Amino acid sequence: MKHLLPFSSECGRSVRTPHEPRRVRAPALQWLFLTVLALGLLSGCAKKETAVTRRDIGPEAEAYYKAHPDVFRFATPADLPKDLVWHDGSDVPEFSAPEAKRGGTEYSWILDFPRTLRFAGPDAAGSFRSFILDDNALSLTMKQPNTGQYYPGLAKAWAYASDGRTMYFKLDPDARYSDGVPVKADDYLFAFFFFRSRYIDDPWSNNFYTTYYTNVTKYDDYTISVSWREPIPDLDDKLGLTPVPEHFYKELGDDYVQRYQWKLEPTTGPYTVKPEDLHKGSYVDLTRVPNWWASDKPFYRHRYNFDRVHLQVIRDVDKAFEAFKRGDIDSFGLTLPKYWYDKLPDSDPLVQNGYIQKTVFYNQVPVPIYGFYLNTTIPLLNNRNVREGIAYASNFDLVDHQYFRGDFVRMQTGSDGYAEVPFPGIHPRPYSIDKALEHFAKAGFTKRGPDGILTDEKGQRLSFTVTTDDPSMRDVLTILRQEAAKAGLELNIEVLDETTADKKIAEKHHQIGFMAFGPAVEKYPRYWDFYDSANANKPQTNNITNTVDPEMDKLIAAYDKAQSMDEIRRLALQLEQHVYDNAAFIPAFKMPFYRVGYWRWIKWPKDFNVRFSNGAGQFGLDWIDEDAKKETLDARNSGQTFPPEIKVFDQWKLKGE
Amino acid sequence: MFRLDPITRRQLQRFRSLKRGYCSFLVLCGLLLMSTFAELLVGSRALIVKYHGSYYFPTYTAFHPGTDFGEDYSYETNYRKLKERFATDAQGDWMLLPPVPYNPYENSFEEGVYPPTPPSFFQRHFLGTDTTGRDVLARLLYGFRIAMLFSLLFLVLVYVVGIAIGCAMGYFGGAFDLLMQRAIEIWSNIPFLYIVIIIASIVTPNFLLLLGIVVLFSWTDMTYYMRTAAYREKARDYVAAARVLGAGSGRIIFRHILPNVLSLTVTFMPFTVSGAITLLTALDFLGFGLPPPTPSWGELLEQGTSNLNAPWIVSSAFFALVIILSLVTFIGEAIREAFDPKKFTIYQ
Repeated sequence: MKHLLPFSSECGRSVRTPHEPRRVRAPALQWLFLTVLALGLLSGCAKKETAVTRRDIGPEAEAYYKAHPDVFRFATPADLPKDLVWHDGSDVPEFSAPEAKRGGTEYSWILDFPRTLRFAGPDAAGSFRSFILDDNALSLTMKQPNTGQYYPGLAKAWAYASDGRTMYFKLDPDARYSDGVPVKADDYLFAFFFFRSRYIDDPWSNNFYTTYYTNVTKYDDYTISVSWREPIPDLDDKLGLTPVPEHFYKELGDDYVQRYQWKLEPTTGPYTVKPEDLHKGSYVDLTRVPNWWASDKPFYRHRYNFDRVHLQVIRDVDKAFEAFKRGDIDSFGLTLPKYWYDKLPDSDPLVQNGYIQKTVFYNQVPVPIYGFYLNTTIPLLNNRNVREGIAYASNFDLVDHQYFRGDFVRMQTGSDGYAEVPFPGIHPRPYSIDKALEHFAKAGFTKRGPDGILTDEKGQRLSFTVTTDDPSMRDVLTILRQEAAKAGLELNIEVLDETTADKKIAEKHHQIGFMAFGPAVEKYPRYWDFYDSANANKPQTNNITNTVDPEMDKLIAAYDKAQSMDEIRRLALQLEQHVYDNAAFIPAFKMPFYRVGYWRWIKWPKDFNVRFSNGAGQFGLDWIDEDAKKETLDARNSGQTFPPEIKVFDQWKLKGE
Repeated sequence: MFRLDPITRRQLQRFRSLKRGYCSFLVLCGLLLMSTFAELLVGSRALIVKYHGSYYFPTYTAFHPGTDFGEDYSYETNYRKLKERFATDAQGDWMLLPPVPYNPYENSFEEGVYPPTPPSFFQRHFLGTDTTGRDVLARLLYGFRIAMLFSLLFLVLVYVVGIAIGCAMGYFGGAFDLLMQRAIEIWSNIPFLYIVIIIASIVTPNFLLLLGIVVLFSWTDMTYYMRTAAYREKARDYVAAARVLGAGSGRIIFRHILPNVLSLTVTFMPFTVSGAITLLTALDFLGFGLPPPTPSWGELLEQGTSNLNAPWIVSSAFFALVIILSLVTFIGEAIREAFDPKKFTIYQ
């Protein structure tokens, strides 16, 4: 569970339970004190326990099931189709290292204390969620992170219905929550009740579980089926749900948000948080569930090796880095060039003496969609020539090459990184002053003013404001501004705080938004959210370019109904071509790898990590060698050294990266 | 303009005799003058260009596209490159560049070298470059100009408002005084920094807006002193005399009372200036100040502290800040000493 740099760690977390695309941002220094303030208030609130009113949600859930017989169906094993072919993942290779040792404590850090331990409702989508849910809890089936095949999770076998939108699951009778209660079919029925309920104050989940899932059927305590609304090729991703333990939510009610604020749902995964390990504002300890039910099962053995993970709150990235160099923290994300080259160069004594080892790992995951989002309803920006001109005047190549030292590469499309959906032949417009001037001239901007900025006949200046919520992108924007001025384009920089910028952009009051969407970690990209006219000119939708294109609407409708990957690939290519022609999105940059530094007592599998990993700790493949720790600490005192280790793992590197 | 009374004139003489303060004053004036004409010392535009027999003075004019000097681009001429071309062409064309040929906004990137780059005499980056390859010296000088302009305007506005309201309170007294005092107490209890931060995070403030916000919450301090001073002066005979002669309130406050309490305000001025510089730097440091890419000391400090491996950034900003604040403080001390009433007040 390495907490990489915020910049990289938030870049698409591994998400099994589908959730809303989130905007990605680095933490803002200026919010720290407000967070402290908020935390103070929260911890104050938490102490005031309200009088407990005994409540049982059971009957209400039962009534809800009865009221929605089309969604919640109760059947018998005899109702199962006879011709089902059951899969159990026995042909899927394991990916952990058999030499891994169990035990020990991993020392890691988090930038901010979690705002809640809930999985739903306000603030539940914070970055701490990956520790307790996304990278921890098991779902029905799990995706093998090298091959993309599926292996058993909470289901020991699964089968596909002939309708292409339903899957059957045989639950593993061994599966237990961390409180020892077995996982049963009822918990899946309850999950639907829970996520559709108004108690949880979570409109996104309400909508998602109401709109996309059409049925959940219980055949017996250990057999269920789940249906999606239409046939799709990545059914496993969508239907691989996590259960919601009904026994834990007995007291579910209007006070859900307060009542469950600091109560952690019993987990099916390896780590849980004991109440006494929650030191508000200071640290959180994750403890490995004693006798975890999947501990010795294939695919789970030799993983999640630490008995304890200590997550210290360090509110400043540079301070955390110093703690890492002291050895207080076991590993640190070095993805940003600043850390890799300047703060911990290969020549650093800690690296040269072999105490800290450095690794580059090329991965293949959908990348955050960084770029300029042009609001096509704003005057001038509604002119495609102006938009194309801006695309030619945006020198992302220089930023990638000189500011990010060539480590970052230009994003090619808004949907990079989907291994099965390539976009051959679509490349972003390169920086070209001549082409930019040519397009601006077509839009009537021909004369340069006294400061070199183009004006049209009416004396209107070619000037736009770029809004961003990410202070760490300030330097990038100043470079782009200087370069754009050469093409007669003025870009004013507006760095607002997260909430304000997000609101401004979500309500479509921006001219140019510079931000990133967290990608949907799915098999293929989404278009409806970003480009369908149903979402244009409406506040709080993801179509922040306000794109209205009837032809795209038709393609998107077909795309969302596509049933084979071939069809999806064909339609996605056409859609991406439209996105390019429309020039309302200008792709920025992506990182094809992550980099990490770690003390030599942290050990890794021989391939280091897996293809679809977002960060080194995501799949729990590393372990601690206590002897090496003692040896290293002694060596540091006595001056003894080890051979330096700086490694590059490029087995998953794509051409052109 | 009112004439200085003999006491004030003697105070100024005494100020001149206090060596440390007076020298600081001269140095600061020199720096101010220098920053006013910063473009002549630090800037990317050439001071004089002789091209094909005619002379150009691009510093303060509209931009010259590269095509004006036979280059093949229509954006602003890169004079450093042009100078190299003049040298190789050897056709009698020449130019004079400022000693530091960089403006505070341009990113000078070089192949294979990644910013921040250390100070280099040869490159003419005398204090090195920052994280995006901008000249640190240029950003310091232009940042100084903005900080000084900010603090001087701040001084004028705060004093105009503070003195006017303070004097009025002291002079009129009674219910007006009572109500205004309560209002000021409430107003000055608003946590000013939070307000600035909240406003700055909703709208990106420009120079005037930021100045306005800061002034809005800073004028109250001055009123306390002016109120007391006006209260005291009001009881003096010359005020009564003026009133008997038929002078109106405005005339009495501004023509009679104000010159007599001015020495009090003068002693506060340097400290107000240093306070304003610190405030602007702090806001920029936290990212709530002037929008990027405005050159600013706070922004340099912020960059410097998060890039301690490039010590020239943080040390440049730090020493600049220390030097300017010391100068202002020395001036302030000297003024305070020169204007010390213990030396000059004559009790009658």
